[in-house]
Amino acid sequence: MKKVIIIVFSIFFFACEEGIILDVNQVESKVVIEGLITNRPGQQYIKIGKTADFYSSGTNPAVSSAQVSVSDDLGNTYTFSESTEKPGLYLPSAAFTGQVGRIYNLDIDIDGEKYTASEELLGVANIDSLTYGLNEEEFSDPEDEGRFYNVFVYTKEPQDEDNFYLFKFYRNEEWLNDNGEDITVTDDVAIGEAIEGLELPEYHSVGDSVSMEMYSLTQKEFIYWSDVANLIFSDGGVFSPLPANPRSNISGGALGIFQVSAVSSSYVLIEE
Amino acid sequence: MLIKTIFRTVLLFVIVIGTSYQARSQEKLTLNGYIRDASNGEELIGVTAYVTELKGGSASNHYGFYSITLDKGTYNVVYSYVGYKNLTKTIELNSNMSLNIELQPDVTELTDVIITAEKEDVNIEDIKMSSQSIDVNQVKLLPALFGEADIIKNVQMQPGVISAGEGTSGYFVRGGTSDQNLILIDEAPIYDPSHLFGLFSVFNADVIKDSELIKGGIPAQYGGRLSSILDVRTKDGNNKKLEGSAGIGLLSSRVMLEGPIKKDASSFIFSARRSYVDVLTAGATDGNKVYFYDLNGKINWRKNNNNRFFIAGYFGRDVQKFGDDGSFGWGNGTATFRWNHLFNDRLFSNTSLIYSNFDYNLEITDPTQGLNWSAGIRQAMFKEDFTYYLNPSNEISFGYHGSYRKFKPGKIAPNSDNSIFETTILENYQALDHALYIGNEMRVSDNLTLQYGLRYSIFQNVGASTIYEYEDPQDNINKTRVDSTEYGNFETIKVFHNLQPRFSARYKLDATTSLKASYNRMVQNVHLLSNSVVSLPFNTWWPSSPYIGPQLSDQVALGYFKNLNDNAYEFSSEVYYKKLNNLAVFADNANVFFNMDLPVEIRKGKSDSYGLELYLKKNKGNLRGFVSYTLSKTEMDISGVNNNIQFPASHDRRHNLSIVGTYVVNDKWTLGSNFVYNTGRAFTLPVGKYEMDGYNLDYFTGRNQYRLPDYHRLDLSATLNSRKNKDRKWKSSWTFAVYNTYNRKNPFTIYTRTKQDKDGNILGDGTEKEARLIYLFPVLPSITYNVKF
Repeated sequence: MKKVIIIVFSIFFFACEEGIILDVNQVESKVVIEGLITNRPGQQYIKIGKTADFYSSGTNPAVSSAQVSVSDDLGNTYTFSESTEKPGLYLPSAAFTGQVGRIYNLDIDIDGEKYTASEELLGVANIDSLTYGLNEEEFSDPEDEGRFYNVFVYTKEPQDEDNFYLFKFYRNEEWLNDNGEDITVTDDVAIGEAIEGLELPEYHSVGDSVSMEMYSLTQKEFIYWSDVANLIFSDGGVFSPLPANPRSNISGGALGIFQVSAVSSSYVLIEE
Repeated sequence: MLIKTIFRTVLLFVIVIGTSYQARSQEKLTLNGYIRDASNGEELIGVTAYVTELKGGSASNHYGFYSITLDKGTYNVVYSYVGYKNLTKTIELNSNMSLNIELQPDVTELTDVIITAEKEDVNIEDIKMSSQSIDVNQVKLLPALFGEADIIKNVQMQPGVISAGEGTSGYFVRGGTSDQNLILIDEAPIYDPSHLFGLFSVFNADVIKDSELIKGGIPAQYGGRLSSILDVRTKDGNNKKLEGSAGIGLLSSRVMLEGPIKKDASSFIFSARRSYVDVLTAGATDGNKVYFYDLNGKINWRKNNNNRFFIAGYFGRDVQKFGDDGSFGWGNGTATFRWNHLFNDRLFSNTSLIYSNFDYNLEITDPTQGLNWSAGIRQAMFKEDFTYYLNPSNEISFGYHGSYRKFKPGKIAPNSDNSIFETTILENYQALDHALYIGNEMRVSDNLTLQYGLRYSIFQNVGASTIYEYEDPQDNINKTRVDSTEYGNFETIKVFHNLQPRFSARYKLDATTSLKASYNRMVQNVHLLSNSVVSLPFNTWWPSSPYIGPQLSDQVALGYFKNLNDNAYEFSSEVYYKKLNNLAVFADNANVFFNMDLPVEIRKGKSDSYGLELYLKKNKGNLRGFVSYTLSKTEMDISGVNNNIQFPASHDRRHNLSIVGTYVVNDKWTLGSNFVYNTGRAFTLPVGKYEMDGYNLDYFTGRNQYRLPDYHRLDLSATLNSRKNKDRKWKSSWTFAVYNTYNRKNPFTIYTRTKQDKDGNILGDGTEKEARLIYLFPVLPSITYNVKF
């Protein structure tokens, strides 16, 4: 929305912007949890940190020495231990992968403060294929030198259930999220079954390997990520909703998400 | 059935009063008629007919009609209205008498620009308080954004009114939100008054005759919204001679033509306005087009003194085309048919059939993401209003308003073969709305006048709709529907009854001073689904339903009114307290964008606002204008929002000052100026940040805890009338204006992003954030050329 509004006003050539220094109050920091369990090996992690001052740099101050475990509804428990290289990052002590249909429970204990979450790992449709094609308009006047190929996705959206998705796009393994200002998350309201030749964001050049990941989300996970999207796209609350912290699926008063997803992916190499 | 019974009872009640009164005093006679402008036949609203012998009188109503009941005898009646020459008639009243009056415009004042204002001492005599009349002729002389005269921008400078932001048409009245303002054009509601996202309003100043903003002491014949009524009436058209005007501005051009169809009996007026921003921007932004247009038309027929007919229509639309990518459009269309009828000398009726439509559509053209999105609201209305001039001391108003509304919150349809979208329609709703009212304006003594009334509203939410029941209607995370009920077409889903008492009093301390007090309760059964500060045209409306009950407001106001220097200055001071209850507000993070489970996002709450308004207006002389200052506070208390802690409303601005003036230098030059100052908007700012899967997110602890920097701006204008104007029919003028003269960078909004340079390259390691302030309009000159013929 921020972009739409800025475009609308820029049309009149008059909207201007400049930096402003906020007079930010000091407040107590809050626990931030980022957890991911998928049906792919090696993708399971829990990060625990804290909010930082608005004008600070670096990632979240780490929360170390937390007790972290994930259990499923079959009674399996997987303990997580803190990485020695990266404080605040907790990895499974023994590798495991999530299974579609299982419910995963997160339990975190930070000096007696408990944080919990519970989500089902929902299945996700396969990506049938990615294709590419030359974009004539971009070819004649490319924004970035040599990048004028579009990539298209073919898949099916199951119509008999409510589905929620998070997408990630990569060029040569580099995640394309417009410097943290773009996110693609959707429910399936108003979306039909056949997804045939849906254009992916950005243009690519010959030799690029373009890939896409599709994550299944539960309703609560979708709400979290769509709140994040609202925040990223917010213009400060004139035309968009008043900003607020995204609704977390973690109880205990932490910010963040415990995301349990199935992932499907596909890639295509762009050739001349 | 119930309605019919009540209606009959009311009618009976009135007839009984009327006949019994007549039975008692056979000698009472009535003097009535229409009051018009002698130059063009326009009916004049609010002209005083003062009976010298009685030391009292009456004023003409919205249709220019007046009626006075007197004993048999001889009277001197003075008809007066500022900007017109007084007319005194000696009347020998032996039988009921109809006397139509034509007042001559007072053109002895400099130039032929007639500044119409209120009648003499109106603010002292009249029971009305908390009401501002917007002088459209003065608005035309004032500096305006891109030279486009706009009454809404003038409304935003009135006491008690806060602008939603620069370049918007939204405004907040005495602590209410912008959807609580009822905006009427010839009695038809306008659901979104904005053009170009609010840069301009739908009101073309050329056709406006009279406009009034009512903020409090709202009489019983008005209802439907909580906070204010902006009642805009268009001209009837000159019934003496063919006239026209045209204007060429930087952004738009307009043309207006009016004249008699049959002299003195029927007339027409037609106007059109079209912007050409697309012409200005076409070269720069390839394929992008932005434009709007307005059409106003009216035909007016006086069959005889007892029957008058009008048909009025408005149609306007905005179109924005984004190259080949799609388009976005919205617009209002209204139609009003009115019949003024005199049943007898004292019973005046106005019958109206009204239609209003607002819709928007978004089109995306793309092989796979192509879609058409449309939504809107449609209303058809029947109004029957009576005024019964019982005697000089009692003027009874009563009537029935009925309307049908259809709400279409949204429909998505694919527009290409390979589109990923499928046709999806959000639940449509229908509603029937009835209101019966009765009110009396009673002159108790020379000093004391009372106005009291009651409005009874019945709002029926009817099918065809499916109503869902949620496991927890406040849970917007686990949205679980547990039951659904289907209702057939026009089957009653839920009915809401509300009684709305209204009361006003005026006590005259002396000829130039009065005290006024008022209380009113208002009920609102249509709800704008918006969770932003400034509402966008793609917000939708919903009826009261099992999900949302009626919103209520109670307001008390006290005022002191004083005229100085023989009406040259009028001063008023008012204090008010307004309590809003059962407000429908969205939860934090609510998703209002094509949400199938919108009801779980709605929270209920209340709002308290109070304030002091000071207003000084100069009506006479070469320098005219007003100074308005408002000190106010508005807090909201919504369960489930901001952790249930009270927070300042976005439109809570402590100080609000406007100075508006025009100065006639000589018959060539007229100068105009606006100065506006207000406290910055209450604003939600981050108190920290955190990283989440590659995103740098802001951390918030409370809603609206900060303020944007103060807003202030000075605009200047100069209008040059051609010297030759006097001798020719073709009169021309140039208006030169400067908006934001001292180039203040007024903050529009603040947003945050990852720290980057101006080319968008990330600075540092990509974890640092920065805040950016957006301001809209730098110093902007404009020029407009106007002709009248």
